[in-house]
Amino acid sequence: MRFLKLQLPLLLTALAGLIPIVAFFASPNAVQVQWTKDRLEKYMIIIASFALMLGVINVVQSNVKKIERRQKGWHYGAFLLAGLISMAVVGILGAINVGPFQGIGFRPDGSRTPFQWGAEFVFNPLQATMFSLLAFFMASAAFRAFRARNVEATILLIAAGVVMLGRIPLGESILGGRPYLSHFTDWLMNWPNAAAQRGIIIGAALGAASLSLRVIVGIERSFLGIEKTD
Amino acid sequence: MDRILYWLNVLVRIDRRWIFLLIAAGTVVPIIFPIGFKVSITPAVQALYDKIETLAPDDVVLVSFDYGPSTAPECDPMADAVLRHCFAHGVKVVVLALFPIGGITMADQSLARVLPDYPNVKYGVDYVHLGYKSGGQATMKQMGEDIHNVFPVDRYGKPLGDLPLTQRVHAYRDMKLVVSLATGIIGEWWANLINAQFGIPVACGCTAVSAPKYYAFLQSGQMIGMLGGLKGASEYERLLTSGYPETTRIYGRAGLYTAIKGMDAQTIDHSIILLFIVLGNVAFLLGRRRGSAGPAS
Amino acid sequence: MDLGWLNVARANALVLFILFCVLVLTNISRARRGGNLFIRRIAGLNAIDEAVGRATELGKKVLYVPGIMSIDENQTIASLAVLGHVARMTARYNTELDVPNKDPLTFAAARETVREAYIQEGRPDLYNEGLVHYVTYDQFAFTASVSGQMVREKPAANFLIGCFYAESLLLAETGQSTGAIQIAGTAEVAQLPFFVCACDYTLIGEELYAAGAYLSRDPAQLGSIKGQDITKAVVGLYIVVATALLVVGSTLLKRILTIE
Repeated sequence: MRFLKLQLPLLLTALAGLIPIVAFFASPNAVQVQWTKDRLEKYMIIIASFALMLGVINVVQSNVKKIERRQKGWHYGAFLLAGLISMAVVGILGAINVGPFQGIGFRPDGSRTPFQWGAEFVFNPLQATMFSLLAFFMASAAFRAFRARNVEATILLIAAGVVMLGRIPLGESILGGRPYLSHFTDWLMNWPNAAAQRGIIIGAALGAASLSLRVIVGIERSFLGIEKTD
Repeated sequence: MDRILYWLNVLVRIDRRWIFLLIAAGTVVPIIFPIGFKVSITPAVQALYDKIETLAPDDVVLVSFDYGPSTAPECDPMADAVLRHCFAHGVKVVVLALFPIGGITMADQSLARVLPDYPNVKYGVDYVHLGYKSGGQATMKQMGEDIHNVFPVDRYGKPLGDLPLTQRVHAYRDMKLVVSLATGIIGEWWANLINAQFGIPVACGCTAVSAPKYYAFLQSGQMIGMLGGLKGASEYERLLTSGYPETTRIYGRAGLYTAIKGMDAQTIDHSIILLFIVLGNVAFLLGRRRGSAGPAS
Repeated sequence: MDLGWLNVARANALVLFILFCVLVLTNISRARRGGNLFIRRIAGLNAIDEAVGRATELGKKVLYVPGIMSIDENQTIASLAVLGHVARMTARYNTELDVPNKDPLTFAAARETVREAYIQEGRPDLYNEGLVHYVTYDQFAFTASVSGQMVREKPAANFLIGCFYAESLLLAETGQSTGAIQIAGTAEVAQLPFFVCACDYTLIGEELYAAGAYLSRDPAQLGSIKGQDITKAVVGLYIVVATALLVVGSTLLKRILTIE
């Protein structure tokens, strides 16, 4: 049992981690190595697809339970299941070309299949709506966060103000049409911002590399639910 | 002074929904009643424009739709502008989508918006639509070996070997430029992976949120140009209307959403946010000077 | 130029890789043999106790979002380390835990992590399958669901730890509006400003990756952090020297590190 719960997962993790590393340093002529790496990538996509089924089953189970027990927010669960079932049915029927559900994109005559209609006129606008909430939340977050409480906050405030002005034509209008603010904004983004981002990226990359090494050699086992090494 | 401080404190404690309402008004009104603020061109945008201008009529540009419906308001104008530029300049285009949810719809819709203005552009000769492929980096790398293996047929089911354009385009070596219209990490993959490994110039059109990240790639030369957010898109549209006056008619069309029109809304919204920030800080500093607790919402 | 199986064009990368591995593994080995390894205070991780304690006192739940990417993303693995620690605390204090997931593989791993944590804490009776649930694969549908949960159920503590993209501000600002204490952590540079503005504590970049080591205080993991820090110092020195050489016209160090 310990082999299945601990040693086998660790062995598989080590292999899955080492194969791409070896493939990176191997010559393109090392055909077996490249083939193994390509296979591994394909297998990961297949495994993820099966895991998606697991997720869908969990969604259906948990929402059906919520509706049965009339838990708080159960009507949202009903709405979710209605959307899930309708798009799944329409999509599957379209994929196997049953009746009027021919295909999942545009028909040869240019008309939309039901799946395409749902994706274009329901899903896409909902996605765009959620993303557009960012504009409102950014306004309220900026209003709350950009206060000159201390030196660092003041620098943040000034930089944010300059960049926000520099990104709009109003910044030039204020200076009589001269693009100084826009150019200063570009300088700010190209130099201090890029330098700071690079610093964080380098640190994070080394952190990720260290974590990856810990995972590959089996020291980091948190994904198995084990906190410490033996 | 007390009265001013009182009202400033009221403003600072304002319910965030009033801010949302003002932002909504600031977005909707300029779209209905365009103002037409002028934008200046930044070097990153100019660089991409100049690169396409230097291409010869038979050169091929790969345009990758790596974004979904959520970022369409920012990325659609960029996509349309790049496609219009390529078609107007006579450069050949290969279109594909790598973003899993909605990428192909964005590609279809962009072509549907742009193509009616270019009746001389022929499918299979001047442009090809490869469709969507999953796999991300693996797909991108395999395209460096042979696109025909990755996309045996195009979006419409035609074998690539039957299309005149793709008969001579097999890998990145047969192309001159990759333009990735990206949200998230796919734009980075093009720069880190494909430019590094295959040497093909890469440019990116990205959301304003991602733009700071991509400046590092511009600096290092891994990207040759960048359209950052709606402003980048509006700058490109401006360049297009100056370089190709016939596009002025297109961009002036009523009912067509363009980045230039969107910039009006962005200008008003930024101004509203800046005004609130300034007033909030004035109240905060005055209050602190008077010894009262700095309000925080 | 190829040398059989080895791609000689990447030999410089191989040398760096071996050097990095030697530094990290040597320090892990030294740490295992004993010795107290110092790791600086990370406010966000120290605040986990405070956050869970607040939720316990208020009788409200702890919401933990382990990012939106899959288990092959390093940030997700780092997030699961923190989730394990949070789950042990919620098991110990009998606080309700809710872990919504966007990715199915992460969902499976998170479920195992939470189950093991409750078993290790001796409270398997408190664990149920509903603690960790899958929402949807779509980014903004997931965000809408979690935001709705935050507004309706008003968790006392929100943990937004892992890989986030555009939904970061939506989640953080919604959580802020409900009055929850929020601890965020990500290595996505573009999302850090949003978390810093809207959350009480933010783990930045490598602090997230060090979380597992910091919370467990496992000597082996702490040793790897030390090895990583030494590597960072070497990289920093290299950059300074290479830049100085570039200024005087020498591209030697730059060419040495060019990887094809």
